[in-house]
Amino acid sequence: MINANLKSSYAADERVLNNRYKQAFVYGSILALALFTLFGNDYLILIASQMGILLIAVVGINILTGYTGLVSLGHGAFVAIGAYAVTIFGNLGAGVIPAGIMPFVSVPLAVALAAAVGVLVGLPSLRVKGLYLAVATLAANFIVIFLIEEDIFAPWTGGMVGINTNVPNLLGWELDTKREMFGLIAVVGLVSLLAAQNLIRTRVGRAFIAIRDRDYSAEILGISLLRYKLMSFALSAAYCGLAGALFAYFYARILPEQFELALSLNLVAALIIGGMGRTMGPVFGVIIVVMVPEVIKVLFGALAGDSAGAGQLRAPLQQIAFGVLLVLFLLKEPLGINQIVDRILRAANRWPFARG
Amino acid sequence: MTMNRRSFLATTAAATAVIGTPMILRAQPKEYVLGASLPLTGPFATAGQLVAPAFAMATKLFNDEGGVAGVPIRFVTEDSGYVPQNALNNYQRALASEGKNMIGYFADSTGAMKLIAPELKGENARIMGSTSFASELANPETHPYQYLSGPTYQSQFDILLQNIKNEGGQKVAFIFSNTEFGRDPIEHGRKTAEALGLEVVLEESTKAEGADIPTHVTKLAQSGADHCILQGYVTGVWPQLIGGARQFGLPVKFKGTFWGMEKLIADRITAEAGPFLAGYEGVMPYRYFYDREEAPRYQQYAELSKQMFAGTPLENYMSTWAIQTMCGLEIAMKAFRDTAEAGLELTPDNIAEKLAGISDWDTGGFFGGPVSMENNAIGTGRVYGYNPEDGLFTPKSDWFTV
Repeated sequence: MINANLKSSYAADERVLNNRYKQAFVYGSILALALFTLFGNDYLILIASQMGILLIAVVGINILTGYTGLVSLGHGAFVAIGAYAVTIFGNLGAGVIPAGIMPFVSVPLAVALAAAVGVLVGLPSLRVKGLYLAVATLAANFIVIFLIEEDIFAPWTGGMVGINTNVPNLLGWELDTKREMFGLIAVVGLVSLLAAQNLIRTRVGRAFIAIRDRDYSAEILGISLLRYKLMSFALSAAYCGLAGALFAYFYARILPEQFELALSLNLVAALIIGGMGRTMGPVFGVIIVVMVPEVIKVLFGALAGDSAGAGQLRAPLQQIAFGVLLVLFLLKEPLGINQIVDRILRAANRWPFARG
Repeated sequence: MTMNRRSFLATTAAATAVIGTPMILRAQPKEYVLGASLPLTGPFATAGQLVAPAFAMATKLFNDEGGVAGVPIRFVTEDSGYVPQNALNNYQRALASEGKNMIGYFADSTGAMKLIAPELKGENARIMGSTSFASELANPETHPYQYLSGPTYQSQFDILLQNIKNEGGQKVAFIFSNTEFGRDPIEHGRKTAEALGLEVVLEESTKAEGADIPTHVTKLAQSGADHCILQGYVTGVWPQLIGGARQFGLPVKFKGTFWGMEKLIADRITAEAGPFLAGYEGVMPYRYFYDREEAPRYQQYAELSKQMFAGTPLENYMSTWAIQTMCGLEIAMKAFRDTAEAGLELTPDNIAEKLAGISDWDTGGFFGGPVSMENNAIGTGRVYGYNPEDGLFTPKSDWFTV
């Protein structure tokens, strides 16, 4: 609840950033990111880049699972498609398309390809829901990785051995340091987030939410399930494809095993922890998923040093912490960190009166 | 002549060499850092956990000797779970947090080495050793900063195939794990076999752990091979394959490469299932730890192990895996020290140059004699055979260099 936020027109009420707090937060974030890109230390830049790549993919999952209510455990496949497609298109187009223009061609193509495969994978969603759909999408993950590893495609994908990626060249500016890459990731991440926020206030977004809340009611109201379910799959796959393209640009080499089930599960876990169906959910989720192992590492390092013995103790601890966190959120706070933040903001807003 | 930084350094370095006192021209850091990723969890956790203590020993040993030109070294070890992506993340994290103080890295798999290789550019380059003998890495043109602590898997296959030929073998089977490490020498092995007039009757890929043994053994039986080379296993699968073949009554002779030559595993299998590993042979680049008479460096390790690992199984025996890691670290240390003694900055390029130039080096007993780096690898080894009665791998051939 926000006080003193009078709107005198529908247009003002429908804005993406429809109150001063949101505006201040977004502009403040942009400023903070810009300063961080320029002055953040190398270690934090690295961690933030990994977060940014993961964030874009989780925003995609959020459109599908959080807003449309369709479960997917196979979105790692679309990250793989994005990463491989951008690399393969880059290699095929080398010498034909100027290097400085290549990313503007190969990234949209990779995203479009991911979206097209997304539609294909989304077909079962027209018939099945919940657990059945989760298993159907799970199959997509296995099939895509299997195809990438197949010998027939190995000349393009590098098969099981992986493939070296290209350095992105934006109109002659080569992003060959992690810091420059973070700049790109931050911009793309921010635009993705705002685009998702904007999507939800459109006719399409409202249709997604109607499907999530009660699909047959939505259909009776004239919302085509076929069209909107597939559109949701395509959009979420496109986001994951974009994340994959950035992944390929960020790392010098990609392997099929980087996109296996663990990645798909990580995306869903980040969404659950952060909060489904809310714009900031993916942001909080990704911060936690990436930071928890790092924080444990730093704390453990301070306590036990960098010895191999400490590493041996720490490795399972990181996984246990992650698992415990997931269970705790499912039990105690199914709406994720977003809900906790909301409560804090509400309490601050009403202070010194009743909390909650 | 104008005096710029480069010519000043060169002159000073020359002067230093004349005076004979090594000095570092860069402001010396308080310590040098060496990063490492180990498989402390995952399919090869047993090996990782046996190798881990070697780093504690190496820290003490190298620092007691004065580190690198008086600057102590520190190891930062992390778990990779034998996942290349994790090793890459560990490497990048170490790079970002340790910066220029980190002068080398030790990776734990062929996959990790290949994944990190293209990252080693400019500011992000560091000298990198590993547990891998991957053939692709033994190429200074494409992998200038990475080195092997022994012969490549391809060389090891060449040795075994020659050995099979000498024994009068005709039909060979290759059974390998479905990993980078398993697949590495297979294609090359096929060509070598053909050149030697051996027929490759089976190429069978299995899981790295928990493989479906009966199926693979049946295929081996159907192939009619008289010799079988196992590649790409560490703690599991290879003994089960041999055991399965023996239960099946197959007379096939098994051969292994470095990672299938660990006494601890062979002993454990013998204790559990009887002496079926009798006659098992394989390539090993180093002396075993119990062969210490002509190995002064091993004797030093033995004394340190007695002090540092008293009451643990490591007190009296160092695994082949730990020996391989120590050898990798010794090579890196030699390169660092040579660079420092020449009065050069410890940049990756300087270190790589010194490392590639190692020749006629007496390692103190790892190998049969003095060794040289060729194509960033040391192509030396020996065939050993296992005797279940005394639990020892004993030499079946002289030292050879490929």
